[in-house]
Amino acid sequence: MSTLSPTVSQQELLDIAQRVVAQATALGAEEVKASVGRGVSTELSRRDGRIEKAEESRSLSLHASLMVDGRFSAHATNDIRPEALRDFLAHAVDATRFLEPDPDRRLPERERMGDADVDLDPVDPGWASLDPAYRRALLEELEDRVRAAGSDVKIRSVSSFVWDGSSESVSVTSHGYQSTWRSTSFGSGATLSLEDEGGRLPEAWFMTGARHRQDVVGPQQAAVHALDHARHRLGSGPGPSGRYPMLVENRAVGRVLGTLLGPMAAESLYEKRSCLEGKLGQRIASPALHLIDDPHIPRASGSHPHDGDGMPTRRRDLVRDGVLQEYLVDVYYGRRLGWEPNGGGTGNLIVPPGDRSPAAILADLPQAIVVESFLGGNANPTSGDFSFGINGVLYAHGQPVQNLSEMNISGNLFELLERYVAAANDVWSWSAWRTPSLLFDDIQFSGS
Amino acid sequence: MSIPRPPGPPGAWFEERFGVTPAVLHRVMEAALSRGGEDCDLYFEHAASTSVSLSDGKVNAAGTRVDLGMGVRVVVGDQVGFAFTEELTIAAMEAAARTAAEIAATGGTRPVASPVAVRVTDWSPVLEPWDKVDMATRVRMVRDWEQRAFARDPRVARVETYMADASKIVMIVRPDGRLIEDWRPMTQGHVRVTAGQGSVRESSGFNVAGRAGLEYYGAGRQDRLVDQAVDRTLFLLAAGKPPAGEMPVVLAAGPSAILLHEAIGHGMEADFNRKGTSIYASRMGDKIASDLVTIVDDGTIPGSRGAVNVDDEGNPGERTVLVDHGVLRTYMHDEISARFYGVKPTGSGRRQGFRYAPLPRMRATLMENGPHSPEEIISSVKRGIYCQTFANGQVQIGGGDFAFYMKTGFLIEDGKLTRPIKDVNVIGNGPQALERIDMVGDDLVIDEGGWTCGKDGQGVPVSQGMPTVRVGSLVVGGMG
Repeated sequence: MSTLSPTVSQQELLDIAQRVVAQATALGAEEVKASVGRGVSTELSRRDGRIEKAEESRSLSLHASLMVDGRFSAHATNDIRPEALRDFLAHAVDATRFLEPDPDRRLPERERMGDADVDLDPVDPGWASLDPAYRRALLEELEDRVRAAGSDVKIRSVSSFVWDGSSESVSVTSHGYQSTWRSTSFGSGATLSLEDEGGRLPEAWFMTGARHRQDVVGPQQAAVHALDHARHRLGSGPGPSGRYPMLVENRAVGRVLGTLLGPMAAESLYEKRSCLEGKLGQRIASPALHLIDDPHIPRASGSHPHDGDGMPTRRRDLVRDGVLQEYLVDVYYGRRLGWEPNGGGTGNLIVPPGDRSPAAILADLPQAIVVESFLGGNANPTSGDFSFGINGVLYAHGQPVQNLSEMNISGNLFELLERYVAAANDVWSWSAWRTPSLLFDDIQFSGS
Repeated sequence: MSIPRPPGPPGAWFEERFGVTPAVLHRVMEAALSRGGEDCDLYFEHAASTSVSLSDGKVNAAGTRVDLGMGVRVVVGDQVGFAFTEELTIAAMEAAARTAAEIAATGGTRPVASPVAVRVTDWSPVLEPWDKVDMATRVRMVRDWEQRAFARDPRVARVETYMADASKIVMIVRPDGRLIEDWRPMTQGHVRVTAGQGSVRESSGFNVAGRAGLEYYGAGRQDRLVDQAVDRTLFLLAAGKPPAGEMPVVLAAGPSAILLHEAIGHGMEADFNRKGTSIYASRMGDKIASDLVTIVDDGTIPGSRGAVNVDDEGNPGERTVLVDHGVLRTYMHDEISARFYGVKPTGSGRRQGFRYAPLPRMRATLMENGPHSPEEIISSVKRGIYCQTFANGQVQIGGGDFAFYMKTGFLIEDGKLTRPIKDVNVIGNGPQALERIDMVGDDLVIDEGGWTCGKDGQGVPVSQGMPTVRVGSLVVGGMG
């Protein structure tokens, strides 16, 4: 059996990766990339006064990409016992020879690879000396705060969650590239369900995660937010069909703007499955819209010094003044399309905030629907047509009028983006989508 | 890579290859129960898979994957401690067991019985196992699918194909002495098509999946895979925007069972009910649908993607009648919920793999046939939509609101299918939708697509099936 200890060092990970490169090369691979990742995490949950689940995980994974006689394959295993690994690689190399050559799958040119020169502060130094008792104390406080904040409603059940972990990864290639990365993660929050008319038990949640423990939203604020959302689900139903201004709440924005990323990818463009084909440098949205990819925000969850190809990341405008500035071009599809690769993935996605709060924006509108979350739905990346279910609240002059569910918004992505008006000032900082709430005008809602 | 059907007796696979002897199992279980846990399970898994894919006319990528490990769960009442290890050394397994044991704090140990193999019914008869199929055959198949797709219609502009096969051996060991070994094959084939006509371009595809070997791809299945992928894409070229608002919805036989899965199935998973957070929590024995509606969750359909010989707690798969002629009869139970309700587990305790603790999950969820012909159902609708194929769905368990995304369908006008429509979200409330099912067809089809159900971050393979059904009204998210 392997001698890997639970506290395996980064050097041990590098040793494994280097061994894989050496062995695969000896078996006949002309190019090899080996990545080894290791993670440790703990997750606890508590429901209605008692610990419900305590989970601990330690895992290791090995990924190897091979080029054999100009043919490409990708493999993964967590069985790194020396004999098992040897057999695995021998089988992998053999299997690759049955394929057809694809020279575009070669490793990126060595000189393209490397890390951006930034300090992303991805490790909370406190993780290693964490007092495990904090988890149970936080779970209890979260539940207590939710119950206290919800004294005006009938709470059926409260669950609280806390998690933390550390992960590291190394990559080594046969042409001399080597990288390492380590990060920690923390998170906590609560879900609750309320008793509502007709036997309905609407739920809501509020959870945040961050690289550093102190960046996670505290229990009081989490409880208030979770309750706010839960109250907005009481007595909800479809409102009248019609056209309304739509304010998409900050943490739901990624679901809408995320439909842009698929069509922006070089793979979609190459495969003729993109509604953004031919739109580079053209206006695809209201001039008010800016969308920035910034992988260099210290401590942010989407920050990373290199992309999936091992190329340095950089801050870039994706959409500026409504004009599409870049496609997302990875090395492989860049070669196929004859385009320079510029990073096929994204880091943190940002829409710059405006200066007004969501409340101030709503106060100025005779009627508007705030979309708090989406239910189901999808978008067609080739045509840009989308259709999403929504949960939200109808407001009139800033006052809540009706809690909404069982409603849909449908249309075309470009029409939607053209109707974008402004950003609020409430940036959400706990996911790769770091955006404020966004206001769109004149959106078709279908309901009763 | 493939894991062959184990040649030896139950337990031999992990004993011979990894030194997991009965004595080792005993020690690990003692560690798991060392702090007073009432029950525990050890879940060993050795899995391997192979995939090949074609794009640009070339079979130019392949992959293999191996996964190995053991998860240990300790249960005290409804509290769960869980840990896993990817190393099957006694030290690593004992350490994981002690971690999981920490959920209990009462002290005292339950005795651990010597393991005795339990016989398992096999619902996945495999004739040509994947470990006997060479790479050249896989490569030939994905290329053949591509060529057939291009040959179907000149409007086909691009084709990508993919096939994967996976197999795993799991061994579940319990302190009452049960040792259950189960071999689980799976295969899936995908064809993705982009077609163009004038300035319109559309992409779609089809996939099939089942617990089978190479023989799965006989008897017309490869034809259906290719034909459906091409037809669904070409359909989109001519399809228009759907209407909007509340209207009757006719669900076509087969893929429409996503409605069952989202709107009804999840709410009948017993954990949500045990916790009192499902809208069905206090409805047992109630009439929740018309007499026409009988819903089963069935783990025993041979070769189906959702078939389970045993669930992941070691209980046999079974056919569970959830709703019998409109009356809610049972939830889907794992052992924790079965104990809570004082009933037998239904063989529904499933997990994605050894890194996860089991939960009550669906297997193959079906609505049984009713009295109406599909033509009768369509002709009964003055104005509504007919949903043919679907992309995805979602449900909110407590509120009961659900949505599913229709990829292709038709407008129904004066009892006839008229205009083809596409890409629309349909939304409703599960219990209301169930109550509003007022016609059920006699044409049950079990969808052969490769559905994966997600819950609590775990994906498990499922099947679903349904006859043609009319729902009196749902909100359709169209354009006006």
